[in-house]
Amino acid sequence: MGWNTTSNFIRVSDLMLKEKQKNYFLNNLKKGLFNGLSVTLLMVKVIIPCYIIIELIKHFGIIRVIGNFFRPFMKYFGLPGEAAIGIIAGYTINLYAAIAVLSPLKLSTKDITIVALILGISHSLSVETPVTQKTGVNSWMLFCLRILLSLLAGVGLNLIWTLF
Amino acid sequence: MDIILTALKNSAMLTGQLLLIILPLTISYEFLKHKQKTLEEKTWRVFGITQNGLVPLITGVIIGLTYGAGVIIHSIRSSNMDKREAFLIMLFLSICHAIIEDTLIFVVIGANGIILVAIRFFLAFIFTYFAYRWLFFKKS
Repeated sequence: MGWNTTSNFIRVSDLMLKEKQKNYFLNNLKKGLFNGLSVTLLMVKVIIPCYIIIELIKHFGIIRVIGNFFRPFMKYFGLPGEAAIGIIAGYTINLYAAIAVLSPLKLSTKDITIVALILGISHSLSVETPVTQKTGVNSWMLFCLRILLSLLAGVGLNLIWTLF
Repeated sequence: MDIILTALKNSAMLTGQLLLIILPLTISYEFLKHKQKTLEEKTWRVFGITQNGLVPLITGVIIGLTYGAGVIIHSIRSSNMDKREAFLIMLFLSICHAIIEDTLIFVVIGANGIILVAIRFFLAFIFTYFAYRWLFFKKS
């Protein structure tokens, strides 16, 4: 009798545990999906306007003016002048804006990799600088260091890429 | 009008590609969050960063500063760590963070992902090492 009740108890608790694990799995899945979709919504709000603006600028030839203006600076990175718009968008807004700007420009693998390195080191500074500040670290120093380092990394990668 | 339509179509396609990357990532972040406690038990020390710094470091490298902000701020503040250690962690993270998402996003539009990851890790290690030497051996 006693043995029977214990085994029943074990079986019930086992079932409860399984149910709990299933819930845990489903909850994580649900939360992840929800987060992913909200990120995508945020992304769509940035990507579509940026893409349309860049296509319009390209169509009316304004992009050539901007490109010519930035060409002397972008020369050091081995990039066309137009890529400056993507870098500025990445620095100030976020990476999705930068991608929406860079995608219609049809750059080469080398150019995209250099831009990606620059933007990977410092991007969405308006959001991430407050985060570094809240940890109690000197955020101004990190902010300057990130911009400087990203530009240096861009120049360095361009040099390495052209050497090999 | 034609330009706007093609721009809409292309940007929708780009969003679709990015969605395929982001959904699996956000789902795996949720599962990763529950594994954090097992990491805190080991004791080690590299470049002045101790086991207290491991959670913010790993969270930042994988998830990034924007979505991992809560975890990073909380774990740095709650563990009463040295200010120098916090600086080293943030230095490493500012160079090398959100390594999966950032890289994949740029691979979609044609970048070389291996070079990106390798250079960012390399730079992060070099700078953290020199900052560590400078901060921890200044007095002696």
